[in-house]
Amino acid sequence: MTVLGKGAAGTGKWVDDRLGSSNFIRRSLNKVFPDHWSFMLGEIALYSFIILLLTGTYLTLFFDASMHEVVYNGSYIPLKGVTMSQAYASTLNISFDVRGGLLMRQIHHWAALLFLASITVHLMRVFFTGAFRKPRELNWVIGTLLLITGILEGFAGYSLPDDLLSGTGLRIAASITESIPVIGTWASILLFGGEFPGTSIVGRLYAIHILLIPGLILALITFHLMMIWYQKHTDFPGPRRTEHNVVGSRMYPVYAAKAGGFFFLVFAVLALLGGLAQINPIWLYGPYDPSQVSAGSQPDWYMGFLDGSTRLMPNWEIHAFSHTIPINVILPTVVLPGILFNLLGAWPWIEARLTKDHDYHNLLDRPRDKPRRTAIGAMGISFYVMLLIAGGNDIIASIFSISVQTITHTLRVAIFVVPPLVYWATKRFCLGLQRADDELVHHGIESGTIRRLPSGEFVEETVGLPVPYQITLTGVEPSERPALHAGEPPEGPGYGDKQVVEVHGNGGPVVHEVRRPRGFFRDKTISRKEPLRPEATMPPLEGTGKPRAK
Amino acid sequence: MDSAPSRMQRLSGPTVIVLALAVIGMLYTAFGAPAGHAKDDPTTEQSMAVKAGRELYLQGCSTCHGLGLQGGAGGPSLIGVGESSVIFQVESGRMPLKAGTVEAPRKKAKYTTAEIDQLAAFVGAHGGGPKLPPGKLNDGNLQQGGELFRTNCASCHNFAGAGGALSYGQYAPPLTEASARVIMGAMQSGPENMPRFSDNQLTPDEKKAVVRYVQFITKAPQPGGAALGRFGPVPEGLVMWLVGITALVGVTLWIGARA
Amino acid sequence: MSETPDGKSIRDRLRAPADTGAANSGGDSRGSDVTDASFQQTDSRAELASHGRDERQHSAPSAPVAHAIQEPRKADLSEAEARSAERKVAALFVLSFLGVIGFVVTFFVAPFKFTERDNIYFTPLLALFMTLALAGIGAGAVLWAKTLMVDEEAVQERHGFASEIEERDATGQALVQGFEQTGLARRSLLRNTLLLGAGSLALLPLPLLLDLGPYAHKEDRFRTTAWKKGVRLVRRNGTPIRIGDLALGSLETAYPDVPGGVQMADTPTMLIRMRPEELKPRKGREDWSVDGHIAYSVICTHLGCPVKLYEQQTHHLFCPCHQSTFDASNGAKVLFGPAARNLPQLPIYVDDEGYFVAKSDYTEPVGPSFWERKS
Repeated sequence: MTVLGKGAAGTGKWVDDRLGSSNFIRRSLNKVFPDHWSFMLGEIALYSFIILLLTGTYLTLFFDASMHEVVYNGSYIPLKGVTMSQAYASTLNISFDVRGGLLMRQIHHWAALLFLASITVHLMRVFFTGAFRKPRELNWVIGTLLLITGILEGFAGYSLPDDLLSGTGLRIAASITESIPVIGTWASILLFGGEFPGTSIVGRLYAIHILLIPGLILALITFHLMMIWYQKHTDFPGPRRTEHNVVGSRMYPVYAAKAGGFFFLVFAVLALLGGLAQINPIWLYGPYDPSQVSAGSQPDWYMGFLDGSTRLMPNWEIHAFSHTIPINVILPTVVLPGILFNLLGAWPWIEARLTKDHDYHNLLDRPRDKPRRTAIGAMGISFYVMLLIAGGNDIIASIFSISVQTITHTLRVAIFVVPPLVYWATKRFCLGLQRADDELVHHGIESGTIRRLPSGEFVEETVGLPVPYQITLTGVEPSERPALHAGEPPEGPGYGDKQVVEVHGNGGPVVHEVRRPRGFFRDKTISRKEPLRPEATMPPLEGTGKPRAK
Repeated sequence: MDSAPSRMQRLSGPTVIVLALAVIGMLYTAFGAPAGHAKDDPTTEQSMAVKAGRELYLQGCSTCHGLGLQGGAGGPSLIGVGESSVIFQVESGRMPLKAGTVEAPRKKAKYTTAEIDQLAAFVGAHGGGPKLPPGKLNDGNLQQGGELFRTNCASCHNFAGAGGALSYGQYAPPLTEASARVIMGAMQSGPENMPRFSDNQLTPDEKKAVVRYVQFITKAPQPGGAALGRFGPVPEGLVMWLVGITALVGVTLWIGARA
Repeated sequence: MSETPDGKSIRDRLRAPADTGAANSGGDSRGSDVTDASFQQTDSRAELASHGRDERQHSAPSAPVAHAIQEPRKADLSEAEARSAERKVAALFVLSFLGVIGFVVTFFVAPFKFTERDNIYFTPLLALFMTLALAGIGAGAVLWAKTLMVDEEAVQERHGFASEIEERDATGQALVQGFEQTGLARRSLLRNTLLLGAGSLALLPLPLLLDLGPYAHKEDRFRTTAWKKGVRLVRRNGTPIRIGDLALGSLETAYPDVPGGVQMADTPTMLIRMRPEELKPRKGREDWSVDGHIAYSVICTHLGCPVKLYEQQTHHLFCPCHQSTFDASNGAKVLFGPAARNLPQLPIYVDDEGYFVAKSDYTEPVGPSFWERKS
């Protein structure tokens, strides 16, 4: 045994004597994670959060969350002698007088954009593959909460420097708060410590930004990961992959090396962006002043959909009984996100209700195999993207020389017309892909071998799809359906009628019979009643690529 | 809401101004305005410039603006618009106008600086109007310029002079290519929909400060990497999705693929 | 033995197993009954099968069942390839080291201060070296894992989540029993006072929150501004605005001549000058403007952004936040966008010295709508 080995053994004994953790550690090291690129999207979010904590901690060493007025005397000449808040001055200080401070600040801001972008991409992956289904509904809800808290955290963060752009955003936030019926003015006064802008908001947001929400996010991430650990990751159908196992690489060493390496690669991309692409150049915005504004004032991208909905909203306002209800503000900024996030969080239950599918699912769906779910997702994305476009309508107008009013009028119509079209098109597209799969599975692939029939006719031979691909396309392990694979008449029910599902309880497999609804979500069109084409039996090709006539 | 009425309004504005200025111009000549200031003496530089400017004017501008600057179907009267207006319009390439366009976009200037000065002198000699202040145009106070820019200019031209949209297809152009003379000329003459800044509102020194600040934010290199067009968070979000997410999805594909 | 490396067409990949025979394709192991040479097992299958079941019953995750060697990688087949892969990984790790060196050198040597020449290269250079340092380690680790570490496809059984029926019942019973033992169901006095105490405890933090803001005269803060009769309109630098200062077609941001007037969020006002004949004053407001000079609140009635984007020919005022458009020549009427109300107008006159003065405060609340607003 090497010295290293001896040392490790000694340490291990010391720990095990006290914690008895050998068994736990060994099981953890041996834990299997499936390998698929799309399973790493959530990791990006996790890593950007860690990077946010690292860079954020660095920034707190220099940032002063005070709205106390000072006269700037740092090295950025154009603002020398200008009166500004301490918060803005210390942010200038980080950017111009702390070596590497600007890099850290820009990495922090890019990481915030990445955190929310990767959550969004991860959410789409989970949605389109059906990974949220039983038993993972709770983790879906935690993910939704992470998205919401992430957005709030981002808003609180970019409001801290007290520059002209963020001040404009805060003013809008204050106005939205005021618009809430009954409690609006109270809430606004309490939030800002008096009339906007007051002298408290930056300090309060600071506490929220560096303590309250990060703590919440950390707790939610912990739950999220614990649930993944306990419930094990889902996997795509494929060879050897069943509802009852996980196939991939073990946590130690391969998965750990890949995941650890990936962390550094995410950090590297953020460092590159942080140094080569300017983000939030607060020194150009200038200090906040209630009478100043810049053309094209926008929030960060993850708030853009709310800004867009606000821009598209017609100017409805209700005056009744000496009170005012600004529908034009409440509907797009309070009601709409409320509906959207509730729908999102409740989706696992909504879908289970529509499909009457209450089974365990550890194998994922290919998006094309659930055309309606995929179409609903695409519809949602199109809706969201149009809100985003509306949120940047003035920039689009400015760059492409279109009238802002034209864009807004168009989007007001499109937001109702386009999503149904996208739904329809996506569904057709999915069904088309399924048909192509069907063709491959039942007809096989062209072998390049031309055979001449006795009648003189030439036909090209087809070969059956290799089993792994059959499994991937049909989601059925041949061992589970030997009859199909052997080309004999199947005994089990087809997809439209009744399905036999095995659920592993502790008492062994339990057989459930589920009647699938014929209407909504009766999705998969590949007929499993037809025999699948058996795997290739033709003689091997010689690698010339030339078709051989027999 | 249709854009037609607004276009009519947009046209009616200049029309009114044109008519008014034409009247002023006629009165000016009719009541024997002090018969030329410097142009009495044909040997002075000024009168030479006016003369040269007249030649240029007759060749390049008179078709639309009329032989006597009185304006016509193609263009407004130039009597009393001042030298600043000529310098802004011609040096930024907006004039001469391309046939058929209503808006006047920035183009490459058709005349040299000397010729533009001559044209300006010629137009300035008819009805006066604002002219560029003497001295260097961009030696104002940078901090003061920043304050004034954020109060008076950033709301339309954006925090970094990248321009912005206005109502019904109007826009505030980017200031990135504007020379000091063009910026000064624009503030003094208030071209198209831009408000005019008289010397009582912004003193010549304050205007010079604004010019200096605009040149600083549009021309001076800034730390922290590429500017991304200086349109704020919209391009930043695009870069995050098109560069950041794309690159990292590429990385996941690499990690996920077998060696 | 031929391989099916990535990068071939789908057709090639599909064809490959037929090409290479059963020995090393992933497709040979059809289900659980396959025990061929390529399917290496850490333990005997029978043992593992029983393990799997046992562990399921203890709700413990089972050990990975088997590791299947897939198609061998280049580095698995030849020692030379393995050494080449090792060199690549090592090169990446060295790159990382060089990145750190470059970062440190840049940090101390490159010009950094805003006043220094070439300071704009400081942050990009730092970032480039930092990227090298991070990407070297990251890419090295991934490449190492992909090319040199064990190439396995481990299979691990899942365990069920649902407990046995008896287990659930027992847990439920324990809960019910415990509740009965507390006596809460029988002792209603105890229950009711507990609800009272705990319920009111939840309200305890509320008074603490109330002091977050001065809520006295709350509504007045929203209804009134610092403008009042006789207050002069001044510029940002404090100089009063005199009639004649503004050229035709211009806009001046005006603040009330009171202490702190420049910084207030509800007082900013814009003074616009247009031709008197272009101005269409609203009824009863004919004397609120002076000779084509008219004053509106800068604060948008939608969400409070400053609406100072004045187009002098169309007289449109355009909000840069949500594009509400107002007509300055016509009482700042809403032409477009989400704003529901006209911009409030400040009545002004000119005093004996020729300066602009407010006639009164705004006659309606300035800025966005709120619940207590009457109209």
